[in-house]
Amino acid sequence: MKFLVCLKQVPDSTVRVKVGGDRRSIAAEGITWSISPYDEYAIELALERKDADASTVVSVVTVGPARSRDALRQALAMGCDDATLVTSEADLSALDVAKALAAVVNEAKPDVVLCGKQASDDDQGLVGPALAEALGWPHVGMLTKLVPGASGLELWREVEGGHEVWSAAPPVVALVHKSEKEPRYPSLPGIMKAKRKEIPEKDLASCGVTPGAPRPEVALMDLPPQRGQGKVWKLDGDAKGVAEQVAKALREEAKVV
Amino acid sequence: MTAPTTATSTERSGFDLALGEEQELVRRTAREFAREKVLPRAAEIDEHKKVPRELVDEMGALGFMGIFVPERYGGAGLDRLAYVLAVEEINRACASTGVILCSHASLAVAPILRWGTEAQRQRWLPAMARGERIGCFALSEPASGSDAAAMRASARRDGDDWVLDGTKNFITNGSIADVCVVFAQTDASLRHRGIAAFVVEKGTPGFSVGKLERKLGIRGSDTAQLVFEGCRVPAANMLGAVGEGFRIALSTLDGGRISIAAQAVGIARACLEDALAYAKEREAFGTKIAELQGIQWMLADMATEVDAARLLTWRAATLEDAGEDHVLAAAEAKLFASDVAVKAARDCVQIFGGYGYLQDFPAERHYRDAKITEIYEGTSEIMKLVISEQMLKEQA
Repeated sequence: MKFLVCLKQVPDSTVRVKVGGDRRSIAAEGITWSISPYDEYAIELALERKDADASTVVSVVTVGPARSRDALRQALAMGCDDATLVTSEADLSALDVAKALAAVVNEAKPDVVLCGKQASDDDQGLVGPALAEALGWPHVGMLTKLVPGASGLELWREVEGGHEVWSAAPPVVALVHKSEKEPRYPSLPGIMKAKRKEIPEKDLASCGVTPGAPRPEVALMDLPPQRGQGKVWKLDGDAKGVAEQVAKALREEAKVV
Repeated sequence: MTAPTTATSTERSGFDLALGEEQELVRRTAREFAREKVLPRAAEIDEHKKVPRELVDEMGALGFMGIFVPERYGGAGLDRLAYVLAVEEINRACASTGVILCSHASLAVAPILRWGTEAQRQRWLPAMARGERIGCFALSEPASGSDAAAMRASARRDGDDWVLDGTKNFITNGSIADVCVVFAQTDASLRHRGIAAFVVEKGTPGFSVGKLERKLGIRGSDTAQLVFEGCRVPAANMLGAVGEGFRIALSTLDGGRISIAAQAVGIARACLEDALAYAKEREAFGTKIAELQGIQWMLADMATEVDAARLLTWRAATLEDAGEDHVLAAAEAKLFASDVAVKAARDCVQIFGGYGYLQDFPAERHYRDAKITEIYEGTSEIMKLVISEQMLKEQA
């Protein structure tokens, strides 16, 4: 079976993000870039299939600026077989990204396309469903598990209080919420193998995409207001007395109950 | 690719550009592994005086234990610079876990790789590179540490075997090691010219582990006495030739010093990062103590010294990678970095104040762990001897 995982390079979750001078984007300097966490889960799910069946091929693709090559290299070092970079220095709309990915999918012809359910930078969650739409493929969201089933694939998705198991005959797009195991680290031998792999580069034109799909514009970006100082009470008395004082403080001072 | 940032700036200077893509990925992987898998267990490792075997196995599975072993012997085939990047990260999280890697890679894998025959490499390296078999280096003895040539352990030829007798002391990884590089005297009248190196496997009759040492720091790392009593080792297990043992020991230690320098940088960085985080939280005199100049000066010194120590370490590793003479660079790196670690640990405890003296906080562990870097694999005094010898040699 052939998997194609679509990933996005985003600011690492350990980075303390600052608002840029234009107040419509984040400041780019000093940022450590990583694979978006949900995309890492997607890679893990695909690689687990490869662990179980060595004939499985796992490809990765990203649409993004040249620095995104590092994210692809990391995915290769984790064990993915090949990678494709569609370069675009400009910040694209979700629809344009989906169209570019669709062109790569049509060329690579995978059985399953996995995307993280959303990227951890803008959290929009648009590209996966838009890609399924562009391809005319079914899509399943909130995936947590992927196992071969009688009629193709069993797709486990998380729902309130439990899970649903869907079945799909490939081709299918699935949006990954989590993997059972934490995404694996790249191994050092994997890093050396990844180093030797070519990462072919395409541009938007070669994917047949002219950017310009409608998109929302960011009007203003701001950090949340600083939280006020906490307050410490010293309360005496038995549990009931303390509870009464806490309840009073929550009602009268904090005004939350 | 850049790894998540640390409190020091070397990595963001122009030198950062010297790191290749794969070295950056190694650093990033090591940093994430250390932060997520090693750091949360560091206090428990110190308290229980044991690094869990599964943690060593994980380091093996990721390729750290065979990081500079060529791929044809089952390693990752990376260079020494990548190795010191990894060593710094693991030791930043836990020096006990870090020294298992340092001793295994620098002191057991490295001499087999450099001095072993093709058959010897094929025999021992693949399992060592995977971390399935741990290595150790047995040179010191109860009565000979820095003066290694005064060793008393003896090797006597008997048919196709050598028979080893004697005791080795302070052997890092001693009780967990499966493959030991052991030095013994074949002819005491020849002094250092009579020394030979042997690879002795765990389970060889006549080879046993003696007492385990109780230590000030790196308590999770095991330090054992190894006892050889009529231990019969096939002649095929000799590394190099009779009389080459001393050279093998010294050249191995040259490389080992680079890894201890990297360990010291890791410990010093832990001190800096922990002290900085604490100083930004702790309040005194109505302000965060990080706002107080007395604290700022300590932090500024720590940051500068960590950077300088790292640069010396990287330089030594780069020279080794280039196949150039790195004796002086390695000694300078170890001398300076270990001094920096001890000083940073002292200041870290000071910044934590009373809490720095408690086991509930990491500062006292850093304080205890740092000291060994000034002692093992050549004391600071020996480093100064090496450095001055090199200088005088160049002057001559």
